[in-house]
Amino acid sequence: MTFNILLTGVGGEGVLVTSVIIARAAVYEGYEISGTQLHGLAQRGGSIPTHLRIGKDKVHSPLIPRGQADLILGLEPIEAVRACYYASKDRTNFVIDTYPVKPVYANIRGEKYPSDRKIESMLKPFAKKYVFVDASNICEEKFGDPIYGNVMAVGVALSNGMLPLGRKSIIHAIKRTVRRGLDENLEAFRMGLEFKG
Amino acid sequence: MFNPDVLEKEGKKVVLLGNEAIARGALESGIGLSACYPGTPSSEIGITLSSVAKKLGFYFEWSTNEKVAFEVCAGAAWSGVRSLTAMKHFGLNVASDSVLPVVFTGVKGGLVLVVADDPYGHSSAQSEQDTRFYARMGKIPTLEPSNAQEAKDFTKLAFEISEKYEIPVIVRTTTMVSHSAGTVTLGKLKKPKTKGKFRKDPSRYFNIRPNLQRLHAKLNRKIEAIEREYGRKINKVEGEGTIGIIANGVSYQYVKEIGPLLGVKTAKLNMTYPISREFVANFIRGLRTLIVVEELEPVVEDFVRAVAKDVNPKLKIHGKDLLPRVGEYTPELVRNAIAPIVKIKKYDFSKQDKLIKKIKIPTRKPVFCPGCPHRSTFYAVKQVLGEDTVWAGDVGCYVLGIFEPFEMQDFMISMGASLGLTHGIKKVSKQKAVVFVGDSTFFHAGMPGLVNMSVHGTKPLVVIMDNGVTAMTGHQPHPGTKYNAMGEEREPVKIEDVVRSFGVKNIRVVNAFNQSELQSAVKELVKKDELGVLVSRGMCRLLMKRIARSKGIELPTFEIVKGKEKYCEKLVKEFACPAIIKRGDRIYIRQDMCWGCGVCSQLVPKGVIVSKKKGKKK
Repeated sequence: MTFNILLTGVGGEGVLVTSVIIARAAVYEGYEISGTQLHGLAQRGGSIPTHLRIGKDKVHSPLIPRGQADLILGLEPIEAVRACYYASKDRTNFVIDTYPVKPVYANIRGEKYPSDRKIESMLKPFAKKYVFVDASNICEEKFGDPIYGNVMAVGVALSNGMLPLGRKSIIHAIKRTVRRGLDENLEAFRMGLEFKG
Repeated sequence: MFNPDVLEKEGKKVVLLGNEAIARGALESGIGLSACYPGTPSSEIGITLSSVAKKLGFYFEWSTNEKVAFEVCAGAAWSGVRSLTAMKHFGLNVASDSVLPVVFTGVKGGLVLVVADDPYGHSSAQSEQDTRFYARMGKIPTLEPSNAQEAKDFTKLAFEISEKYEIPVIVRTTTMVSHSAGTVTLGKLKKPKTKGKFRKDPSRYFNIRPNLQRLHAKLNRKIEAIEREYGRKINKVEGEGTIGIIANGVSYQYVKEIGPLLGVKTAKLNMTYPISREFVANFIRGLRTLIVVEELEPVVEDFVRAVAKDVNPKLKIHGKDLLPRVGEYTPELVRNAIAPIVKIKKYDFSKQDKLIKKIKIPTRKPVFCPGCPHRSTFYAVKQVLGEDTVWAGDVGCYVLGIFEPFEMQDFMISMGASLGLTHGIKKVSKQKAVVFVGDSTFFHAGMPGLVNMSVHGTKPLVVIMDNGVTAMTGHQPHPGTKYNAMGEEREPVKIEDVVRSFGVKNIRVVNAFNQSELQSAVKELVKKDELGVLVSRGMCRLLMKRIARSKGIELPTFEIVKGKEKYCEKLVKEFACPAIIKRGDRIYIRQDMCWGCGVCSQLVPKGVIVSKKKGKKK
């Protein structure tokens, strides 16, 4: 059985790094992985859905088949909603960082950014369970930089039983992956583990 | 960013991107030289190789364009040194002028040419080109990996074939292979062989007749021999049945994703030029139905139809009747397309579709980074020249100028094409025209267009947006940068000097972050009745931010003075910086997103937006 994780957010939020952390942790535990990490123009403030699939045996498609995500880690609320394409009520859990990044085109066109309640109501039909966490804000207050919100969200997923990996291997993967602010990342991860939603 | 796992020990299992795996394959093949021009989705191959070249002792360069990069590699390969170049599909168009004849001359050391196609155009806005046609036209053996492990292994195999048959070999990927991540078991790193010698042999290196015909006949014999030797062992068959599936590249993974299929045998085609006739004949003998699953053009399908005519004329062949010729495939698309033939259930998404329709959220398109010099340049040019102008676009981050609020990229065809196209338009029309071309693109293919314009007398305004780096693909150096890919210092080429040497006299060089300088330069340049070149210079802010961070320097940020928000409404609509946020009636600058370029503060009355001085070490 393959466990499918969709990480999504806005280019520059560290989506790719977060997916590398989880992928490495999975390989440390002896799993096979397959996934996608789109680079290039989409990184410039665009929406970047990153697929990661973990299996005991060889994983084939790098893309998650539609509706088969087990975990959607939404590092930006409306991007989590956009990822519902890959979700279904009977299988998908969500962890959503409630820190909004309003698209500039929405400003120009006067499009409304949906309220938290509206976001919740759009997600609900696609979610088995969902946890909202104001991770980036909490991390900005604590560390002066919202970027650590990603790793905190991973901790939240783990402590809610939404990610079938061990704490140790994730810590090991964080150490191998992050280039700056290692202590902050480890602390943010711990805060995620202790987060009560 | 460099992935340290690329250098892990033999036997280790690590996560690599397809492109990183290709780079590792090159390192396991002992390459002595690599030269590339960056292009998504191929860039991480060069990024990885450039990061380790010095350490492992081989040569790497970011060449001025793909043609030059290929020639550099071919020169090394002629001299007996293994070399690799990697490019995106359109890069092969640029390089092809040299690639095709070098296939005739052949090589001594292995020469591998990685070409990354981009069906769906994740990061390409030109066409959905299928490189396999080049393979056929140029008679270039072509391997197609389907995941990261194969990306590494096939690169090694490509070197083996290349050296054994003295012929360049293509490793063809698509975005979903180059940018897929997978578990890869590593092989042994091979010590680079970096020294060679060119041995004169005009009968081989000078394609003049009668050499030409002799080389052509020799090439044909090589291809036949490769087909015989590798066609037999390189492709794989699984399962038993009277229904057959042939798939290549990532499409094979989508077929495997379906799971075991009763009464179906599957062929994985790893070499798509030359396709082994013998392999295909053996595979389709005794089949009743065959499905070919391949993205883009029916290259394999057409070949199989021709073989089936002799071997199995009653075979029912499916391919592009079930599967699209446009865009890229997904696991659900492949499953649903072939489900009726292999007798499995289709996915039913009708319920999901209804729910998805209810979702209403703002669109999110890519956008100029906060502090991007391009935003400032576009803004200034538009202020001076207004809407009624032909805006010629080119390839680089500045393509984002196509979106609101600028809408200043009326067309974008290929690297450097903005200049030739505008020259043509100006020759037949009196319209005002402005060319936007970036620094790296100018060096890549913009120079011939500009010198042509200069000597043939059209007079548009040419804006060279010099952010000091090849930005979009991840900050590679180009001839205008102080350091090369090996980290060595050199005298950078100044764009204005090049432009002057082309006979252009009406030149201005300005600071891209200074609006009044920019706007007055545009006014002056267009006032004169001659070709004007504006070099708008300002470092890519993303790069500046990274450099500042590595030195522990914090960039300043700007904020709107309380009570003066009403002056900032036009910034939201006309300047579109992601750091300037409007929520309800509130307008503010998000401090974590402001990278301190300060251009916004120049567009409002004095004292409305002010700098929060930082600039000190943390």
